[in-house]
Amino acid sequence: MSSADAITVDAVTHSYGDVTAVGPIDLTVPQGEFLVLVGASGCGKSTLLRLIAGFEQPTSGTVRTAGTAPVPGRGAGLVFQQPRLFPWKTVGGNIALALKYAGQPVTAERVDDLLARVGLHDVAHRRVWQISGGQQQRVAIARALAVDNPLLLLDEPFAALDALTREKLQDDLRQVSASTGRTSVFVTHSVDEAVFLGSRVVVLTPRPGTIALDLPIDLPRTGIAADELRGLPEFAALRAEVGHAIRDRVTV
Amino acid sequence: MTTTLAPAPPAAPPSPKAALAPEGGLRRRLVLRLVALVALYLLWELTARVMHNPTFIPSPAAVWDQLITTSTTHDGVRGYSGHLLIEHLGVSLRRIVIGSAIGVAGGLLIGVLLGTVSWLRVVAEPVITFVRALPPLAYFSLFIIWFGIDETPKLWLLSIAALPPVAVATAAAVHNAPTGLVEAARALGASRRQSIRDVVLPNALPEIFTGVRLAVGVAYSSVVAAETINGVPGIGGMIRDAQRYSQTDVVVLGLFAIGLSGLLIDALLLTAENRLIPWRGRA
Repeated sequence: MSSADAITVDAVTHSYGDVTAVGPIDLTVPQGEFLVLVGASGCGKSTLLRLIAGFEQPTSGTVRTAGTAPVPGRGAGLVFQQPRLFPWKTVGGNIALALKYAGQPVTAERVDDLLARVGLHDVAHRRVWQISGGQQQRVAIARALAVDNPLLLLDEPFAALDALTREKLQDDLRQVSASTGRTSVFVTHSVDEAVFLGSRVVVLTPRPGTIALDLPIDLPRTGIAADELRGLPEFAALRAEVGHAIRDRVTV
Repeated sequence: MTTTLAPAPPAAPPSPKAALAPEGGLRRRLVLRLVALVALYLLWELTARVMHNPTFIPSPAAVWDQLITTSTTHDGVRGYSGHLLIEHLGVSLRRIVIGSAIGVAGGLLIGVLLGTVSWLRVVAEPVITFVRALPPLAYFSLFIIWFGIDETPKLWLLSIAALPPVAVATAAAVHNAPTGLVEAARALGASRRQSIRDVVLPNALPEIFTGVRLAVGVAYSSVVAAETINGVPGIGGMIRDAQRYSQTDVVVLGLFAIGLSGLLIDALLLTAENRLIPWRGRA
């Protein structure tokens, strides 16, 4: 364990009652890494993310982020599967609230700037239900970025979106992540999404989730178009490898 | 040969309101209500003529005459029991507004406490249900003994009657706050107090507002009870005096005054609700 590690998961298990959902798992995430947790539904990957976020406590073992036990709202921005925006606030109001909680000055410029980072313009005054599902999820990401956290945790953020919106958002997130360079953990059940986004992919076994495959993704992070990246033979090979690792473990 | 195509008219996005109420729906509803009102009026008029007993069923014309009489000074007598109809109504409305305001404020406070502190809910919930089950007139006697017969017991009665609906609605909404949104606030670094103020309470607003409308309704139906003792001026006192002298037309007039002003106040509350809670039913 070095001080440069953003997350360390040490012999962690987590049980709901008699059911062991996760573990035992050992995992170390160095700073700046974009880790993708992938596995079939119910393999405990969301639980692992909630352990790292501090929303759940491990039944045994320890989780450390930046060397300390994780506490929700400290050190990690979180994006959920649903946007979870506050409907009584405007789009800009949602961002402003995040800035306020972070103790940062709330200005219209700052709000517009954050929205622009996720590709949204002229929506700050709109009501949450007046924008599309894809735009709502962009706002949720902007909200998580509002706080200058060293960690960004994303729990299947694109799962509820249509394929076109999803690809666009994947592409944008890849660029945002490359430009901010912050450590990220992204949970998905899509093999393609995992290889496309991750600088490292960890495949979990079905419940209780343990690590089935730990694979570095040596693909260019910047200066390459999405289609070009997906067309690389290395991309296809990595996708096949991750896909095999998942299918081998799943009994249908 | 060139053919020019006329530009297609821009398609109007179908709004959900238009889907619910097709073109002319509003007018149709208005006509329907008007027809129903006229039918009711005719039925009343007919019954009054057939019965021929104004103490039992006063005619619409008699009630109208009373409206004029109670709203003017005639032969040196001012309105009814020395006060104009509008003054009776005004005093009652003032009691309703003050009583509801105190009841709503208290109900909000108690509701938030009950919704957030679980042992308090266990202790206090049966008490609230107990008070709720009591007819206001039942505990009015107690207030008379404690506070005399002036304004104080009346305001106490209305406040206590208006409190439970708001307390119950608030407690339920606060207790059932969506974990997803609370978690989202906590993930952004909100403290417990901040998440209650910024998430739990705004999220509860639609239910709280329903509670407020119920509370005002209860205060309305309790005001006549509160004015049974020393209730003049006051619309309830006026009705009670009229009952004593078998002036049925004045009783009916009083009922109309209460009912119509109640409709008006509920419409005002609905408008306020649509203004204050635009997200109702959308999230």
